Amino acid sequence: MSTHLYAFGSICRGEIDASSDIDLLACLSAPKAGINPDRFSIYTHTRLRELWQQGNPFAWHLHLESRILFSSDGEDFVGELGRPNNYTHTASDCEKFRLLFSDSLTALRESSNSRTFNLSCMFLATRNFATCFALGEGKPTFSRYSPFELDSKFPISREDFEIFARARILSTRGYGPNLTDQDIERAMSSSPSIVLWMKRLALEYLSMGYCSD
Amino acid sequence: MIEFNNRIAAQRLILKAVNRIVWDEELFGLSKGAIDRWVSKNALRDDLELVLRIERAAEKLFFLSNKSQEQVTEEYQRLSADVAELTRSVEASVAQYAKHIGMGKVCSN
Repeated sequence: MSTHLYAFGSICRGEIDASSDIDLLACLSAPKAGINPDRFSIYTHTRLRELWQQGNPFAWHLHLESRILFSSDGEDFVGELGRPNNYTHTASDCEKFRLLFSDSLTALRESSNSRTFNLSCMFLATRNFATCFALGEGKPTFSRYSPFELDSKFPISREDFEIFARARILSTRGYGPNLTDQDIERAMSSSPSIVLWMKRLALEYLSMGYCSD
Repeated sequence: MIEFNNRIAAQRLILKAVNRIVWDEELFGLSKGAIDRWVSKNALRDDLELVLRIERAAEKLFFLSNKSQEQVTEEYQRLSADVAELTRSVEASVAQYAKHIGMGKVCSN
């Protein structure tokens, strides 16, 4: 039984602020009880090999942005997996996140119920859309601000994007000040331009001659 | 693709049911941090049936989220059915709690 612990994500990018968390990966040769799933993303070696084989974005994230903290056997399992296979699901993954954004915006417009959760989903959708698009283009970025790192200009300000990011932190960690009605209005006003941005990028991806997966 | 979006939709349904009640602060998500915050901000007992049911639903969804890339297995299908059942049980608990505190604090949307 071997255990390898890694840090990954914002701490490895030096992207630190008051709301930063530390992402931890527990990588195990076999399932093991007693590791807190609230603190660690827990994966077996078998599962990680599959993700590498699939060229999954999480495999790329770990490949490019993880640092080993502990090894029970002196090995570096993630490091030794090497480069993941090419990522080939850009079109379908981007469509999945475009739909999530659109469904969440519809829910937000239809009801004042769970507005923070819906904004949180819109943040997840936007960031993951940008991450998958960038990976498909061979320019990976895993930052919380990945939409701003694409060649195609993201149509809203960082200040407005922060409202979505704050909703995400409230939803996933219960941390931070509650969003005001004004914050929510601002986020909703900027949303149609994000919908158009996603549509334009999806078309751009297909017109660049990439196949639809 | 369907699995991921369905899991989010399942969370939305549970939150929608819980947030029909006008809380001092609504429930923002089904993470442990969000549930702990909601319990604290609304001064709820952590052994309240509604809280326990939300935590059970969250555990199942967390398990499914860790399985997001998996093939659809019998285990996955069973857990999906469990989540549907837990959603119904959360809705029932919300209705019961709403009755307990008075219908004036329940939103229609």
